[in-house]
Amino acid sequence: MMDSNIIKKLEEIVGKDSLTTREEDLHCYSFDGTGKAYLPEVVAYPQNTEQVSNIMKLANEYNFAVVPRGAGSGMTGGAVPLKGGLVMAMSKLNRILEIDVDNQIAVVEPGVVTGDLQKEVKKVGLSYPPDPASLKYCTIGGNAAECAGGPSAVKYGVTKDFILGLEVVLPSGEILHTGARTEKSVTGYDLTRLFVGSEGTLGIITKIFARLLPLPVHKETFLVESTSLKAATEMVAKILNANITPRTLEYMDKTAISIVRDKLTNPPPETVEAMLLIELDGEETAVLAQTERMKALFAGLEDFTIKHAQTEEEVNDMWQARRSISPSTFNLRPNKISEDVAVPRSRIPELVEYTEKLAKEYGLIILTFGHAGDGNIHVNMMLDRSDIKQAMAGKKAVDLLFKHAVKLQGTLSGEHGIGISKAPYLTFELDETTIKVMKSLKQLFDPNNILNPGKIFPQTAE
Amino acid sequence: MLSKTAKEQLIAITGKDRFSDAVEILTCYSYDSFLEEAMPEAVLFPVSTKEVSEILQVASAHKIPVTARGAGTSVCGAPIAVNQGIVLCFTKMDKIIEINTPDRYAIVQPGVINGELQRALAPEGFFFPPDPGSMNFSTIGGNVALNAGGPRCLKYGVTVDYVLSMEVVLASGEVIRFGSRNIKDVTGYKLSALFCGSEGTLGIITELTLRVVPCPETAQTLMVTFDELDNTAKSVSDIIGSGILPVAIELVDKVGMNALENALHQDLPTEAAGTLLIEVDGIKESCEREIEKITDILKKNHAVSIIKATEEADRNRLWAARRAAYGVFAKIAPDILSEDVTVPVSKVPEMVRSINSTIGKYKLKGGVLAHAGDGNMHPFICADRNDKEEWAKVEAAFKEIFTDAAALHGTLSGEHGIGLAKTQFLPLVMDEASRKFLTTIKRAVDPDNILNPGKLV
Ligand SMILES: Cc1cc2nc3c(=O)[nH]c(=O)nc-3n(C[C@H](O)[C@H](O)[C@H](O)COP(=O)(O)OP(=O)(O)OC[C@H]3O[C@@H](n4cnc5c(N)ncnc54)[C@H](O)[C@@H]3O)c2cc1C
Ligand SMILES: Cc1cc2nc3c(=O)[nH]c(=O)nc-3n(C[C@H](O)[C@H](O)[C@H](O)COP(=O)(O)OP(=O)(O)OC[C@H]3O[C@@H](n4cnc5c(N)ncnc54)[C@H](O)[C@@H]3O)c2cc1C
Repeated sequence: MMDSNIIKKLEEIVGKDSLTTREEDLHCYSFDGTGKAYLPEVVAYPQNTEQVSNIMKLANEYNFAVVPRGAGSGMTGGAVPLKGGLVMAMSKLNRILEIDVDNQIAVVEPGVVTGDLQKEVKKVGLSYPPDPASLKYCTIGGNAAECAGGPSAVKYGVTKDFILGLEVVLPSGEILHTGARTEKSVTGYDLTRLFVGSEGTLGIITKIFARLLPLPVHKETFLVESTSLKAATEMVAKILNANITPRTLEYMDKTAISIVRDKLTNPPPETVEAMLLIELDGEETAVLAQTERMKALFAGLEDFTIKHAQTEEEVNDMWQARRSISPSTFNLRPNKISEDVAVPRSRIPELVEYTEKLAKEYGLIILTFGHAGDGNIHVNMMLDRSDIKQAMAGKKAVDLLFKHAVKLQGTLSGEHGIGISKAPYLTFELDETTIKVMKSLKQLFDPNNILNPGKIFPQTAE
Repeated sequence: MLSKTAKEQLIAITGKDRFSDAVEILTCYSYDSFLEEAMPEAVLFPVSTKEVSEILQVASAHKIPVTARGAGTSVCGAPIAVNQGIVLCFTKMDKIIEINTPDRYAIVQPGVINGELQRALAPEGFFFPPDPGSMNFSTIGGNVALNAGGPRCLKYGVTVDYVLSMEVVLASGEVIRFGSRNIKDVTGYKLSALFCGSEGTLGIITELTLRVVPCPETAQTLMVTFDELDNTAKSVSDIIGSGILPVAIELVDKVGMNALENALHQDLPTEAAGTLLIEVDGIKESCEREIEKITDILKKNHAVSIIKATEEADRNRLWAARRAAYGVFAKIAPDILSEDVTVPVSKVPEMVRSINSTIGKYKLKGGVLAHAGDGNMHPFICADRNDKEEWAKVEAAFKEIFTDAAALHGTLSGEHGIGLAKTQFLPLVMDEASRKFLTTIKRAVDPDNILNPGKLV
């Protein structure tokens, strides 16, 4: 429990107006995108690194939990204060400190919203590619902590590929600088990539050196309809191996198509089993050349129809299909289990076939869609939790899905992280010794287990 | 000395023919491409993860230092057994286990030579992007342990960007596996980041799953000369600043070019103050467009001559000269010391100037090569180590170069690693808390400090 003495000390660190213990405020910081809720005891809004460091020192002294939080859009419970304590909200650490155009680097505080950074760098002809669907509200700090990805990962990579260096406050309060401002650095262990994706369990990120790229000047968008899912995923490989590098290569299966059908100006025929949304970007000559090649790949194939957007309206219409999936799912059933397993690309049909089998066996509605280009598949299981049978079936199906994904040489999570939702399944993929090493790192960084406790590792084994 | 028991236990694992403590054999494993030498007490050639694990269990029990070794081409002393003990040489774990082009990965043992992997991938139309100058003899294990780079890293990134999954034997002999065959994988901590580049100080790599990519359909190379080194360097930052991302931009100065020509006799541009080798790749139409844009930038920076090579044979000839550089320079003087400080690309002109003025100030023989596009400079100085006075100057000059790079927000090493060579300079670019932290990690994973002691931390 945090008594008034601790609260007073916290006030001295961050200032009275940057701290709250009001119940209604605490509720706002009790949950994330998973909907799981645990109430913190206090929320603090530090304004600089030194304050973050002082909070950590205090937390060690009085042994309370600290949970860093960006926008709380996480899908695995990472920012949920499982053990109460303090939520450290990053909303006042939200400045873009520098945009170094010559070296294509941005230096930002963790609370900067991803979309805001993208807008700012665009003004100087640069881009920050990682584009999680939540970019309008999620933060760069949260992206770094989860190693977020997005549709553009197939061409550009994920968050880790765009972070050159970090300033991190360790659980002890010590301030660490990792990485460098250079593209290449092998000076010492690569701690940058270790902190990226560590879900706020190893240190608090207080500054980010982000790598930027020149803004692509030209774009072409395509929607492909296919009467065979297998043919569609095989086509993905063909496209990528034909020296075509799309920035988006999303697919949706027939269940996903069926729920967005009424949102489309030109809904696909009933025979369509899969759709691909493809976007090319870059320098104009290169994009046009790739466009020709792609059309050639599809020429004369009966299983496919390819539509090439000619106006901005048509582009939006094509995206509408992909973007409407998530919100439309709730028309099917009130609750959703959303997973983001990844499998090697050639195994996508096997995974989808398996989800169809699960749906049949367990009476669930399952749709799959997502990043076909990199094998990162969003599996949505729709159910009604008030029906105890469905709730149980859902749990069982998730269990089987993870087992099967690992069997297909896949992984539990391609971008959302482990958090609390997937912690019980970690042993499906990693053996005990490996988990032990990861836990010993956690122990090493955070001997008192005060930083975001209860995440990533299965609770029973602790 | 290895105790009799330890020796017997080790031989019981590998058999007599894959264990040696004969002086003439040990000598072969006492050096790398850096300057120091140290004799190990034994060298072992494991053939399986199981053997490596058993060897480490013995080493742990007797607290015997273990230094992994690939081809020994490191230029920072990383594989030298400075605390003696045993060298684990991976030349017999050299199998390519699987190549899967539809899913774009290759599974290899650590002793596979980088070039062998390239040759196995080529018929499938694929390649493994990391291309250190030593690619025809260095091992993938060594590349990963040092996070090696090479010319085309400018566009494609360094080794760590291509490691999907690893199997590692810890000091205790325990075997861990992490990562998967998936490009996207956020399950648990990214341990591959930690082990990649750890110079054999945290664990022994026994298997790697690597990302491989399709070969570009075309590539074009330009060789460009300048009569001022400043313009040469300025062109580099201008090209990168324009938004074009070539595969490689290599810079060679006059001293370097003359040394190359003396050795290779290829009609190289010995008069030029600076020469750039620029390669672009991708689809044909965009290569041509990029070459046009680059040519404009080069002309604005007063390039003297621009030679274009489209044919594979011509391109290979240009690149052969660049790849030969290190070996050639070694012949200029008894010893060559080459470093690989790295600076943000806009600072390339300043760094080139500063390297030259430092070498001039100490009246030494040397110059600069660079993977210039990513700011990775290779200043080199040729001298005689036995000439104490001259050598003191060499060391002073490099210290100055490191300090200058750090002041420009640079770093000590872009690709060669810290090893023995640069440990003392770490404070220039890393604060105390961060250095202490590296040691803490090392201790946690290797409490008895048996893995490659004396390196990096
Ligand atoms: C509609 C929707 C769509 C989404 N689409 C995608 C997608 O396409 N791709 C994708 O990858 N994710 C997606 N997500 C998930 C989520 O948006 C990402 O995981 C995002 O990176 C979380 O950022 P956040 O700022 O909301 O972090 P939070 O949810 O607040 O926190 C996430 C984790 O990061 C930690 N953290 C936050 N800030 C810091 C810091 N400064 N230092 C250390 N740790 C910190 C927290 O402790 C927590 O463990 C989506 C979520 C929603 C709701
Ligand atoms: C002519 C020449 C050109 C070069 N050009 C480049 C270049 O362009 N870019 C570049 O980055 N480097 C370059 N180098 C340096 C060197 O070739 C690379 O660092 C290479 O990666 C070393 O590989 P190796 O197999 O020789 O490893 P070694 O030198 O044998 O070992 C290097 C390090 O790796 C560790 N190690 C080896 N195998 C394992 C294993 N299985 N598990 C754990 N640790 C292991 C060793 O302990 C040691 O610390 C060059 C060297 C030469 C001689």
